[in-house]
Amino acid sequence: MKEILKLGLILFVITAVAAGLLGFANEMTKEPIAKQVQQTKEEAMKQTLPQADQYESVEVDLPEESMILEVNAGYKGDVLEGFAVKVAPKGFGGAIEIMVGVSKDGILQGVKILNHSETPGLGANAEDPVFTSQYEGKSGQLKVVKATPGAEDEIQAITGATITSKAVTAGINEVLNLIEHRVDTDNNEIIFDFN
Amino acid sequence: MKKIIQRLSNGIITENPTFVQVIGMCPTLAVTTGAENGIGMGLATTAVLVGSNLFISLLRKFIPSKIRIPAYVVIIASLVTLIEFTLKAYVPALYSQLGLFIPLIVVNCIILARAEAYASKNKLLPSIMDGLGMGLGFTLALATIGAVREILGAGKVFGVQILPSSYQPALIMILAPGAFFTLGILMAILNHVRSKKMKNA
Repeated sequence: MKEILKLGLILFVITAVAAGLLGFANEMTKEPIAKQVQQTKEEAMKQTLPQADQYESVEVDLPEESMILEVNAGYKGDVLEGFAVKVAPKGFGGAIEIMVGVSKDGILQGVKILNHSETPGLGANAEDPVFTSQYEGKSGQLKVVKATPGAEDEIQAITGATITSKAVTAGINEVLNLIEHRVDTDNNEIIFDFN
Repeated sequence: MKKIIQRLSNGIITENPTFVQVIGMCPTLAVTTGAENGIGMGLATTAVLVGSNLFISLLRKFIPSKIRIPAYVVIIASLVTLIEFTLKAYVPALYSQLGLFIPLIVVNCIILARAEAYASKNKLLPSIMDGLGMGLGFTLALATIGAVREILGAGKVFGVQILPSSYQPALIMILAPGAFFTLGILMAILNHVRSKKMKNA
């Protein structure tokens, strides 16, 4: 009995010290981590919607099944230029977080993959600008093809990663649809309508 | 001094955790899709290994043998979490590369094995050097496997194209089977070299 108490006490001391240290480290790194996250997001918005120089998050009441995570409006001075929308379609290995820049008239400005767990060497190549730059300048609804794209609305799939390519495209299509059909941007005012 | 160097070379060559002891296979097979990932994972593991050997050696008289395993696991898991926080806050690029694999370091059996086999029975300095040696041996092995797979599977090393673009990359080398091929062939080569040496001696 005495031994059990002693063992328990020693283990308690070890875990208590560990917990204290971790709590302290968590406090110390909380702020830099939040700053890093914010910075990464801002860089992504700048890269995908370069014509804007100021970004403001927009409150949107999205339908429940929507893949869109957040909508940011990009302004140059006071003029609305477009939107940087974060969307997370389901890929081969889980959600793929993508920042999509769209001008207010619905033309894709830039696409950047933020986070993914796709297969290295295959789906992970979606990060490659060779793939993402295909989207620039496109609008409407896009589809994935395996051959060299002939039509305006075609995107060439990554070799061996059709599921990833389709997922990324589906996410982007949803953003395009949102900006083209659900947003009213008259007089610099942003109104979302899902009916 | 001699002992310190001996600990280092023991970890890197004589008892290389990957090629000789064949432990820690999960991260070895999972992260070595490129040389850079291999080095990143190797160095992160080295940091945990040095830290855990340090603390376990310091506490070896305080931790009763009956509860040593839970105690070691708490120490190792705390160190891994500390490293995760630090990377996330100050080296986000490396963190986003390794993100998924950092928590895996906790269950890397090299770390528990060195705690059990060496640090819990030896003095502070040799234990630290043992951790460093084992960690570097692991890093070296991962980087080698990663480089081979990257060259054959993508025609690149450290993300730089080295094979001419006429080379059609063998995708399988970057996928899971490629990890087994590479590990098996490298181990066979090393065993061959070793057995030849033994014969000559």
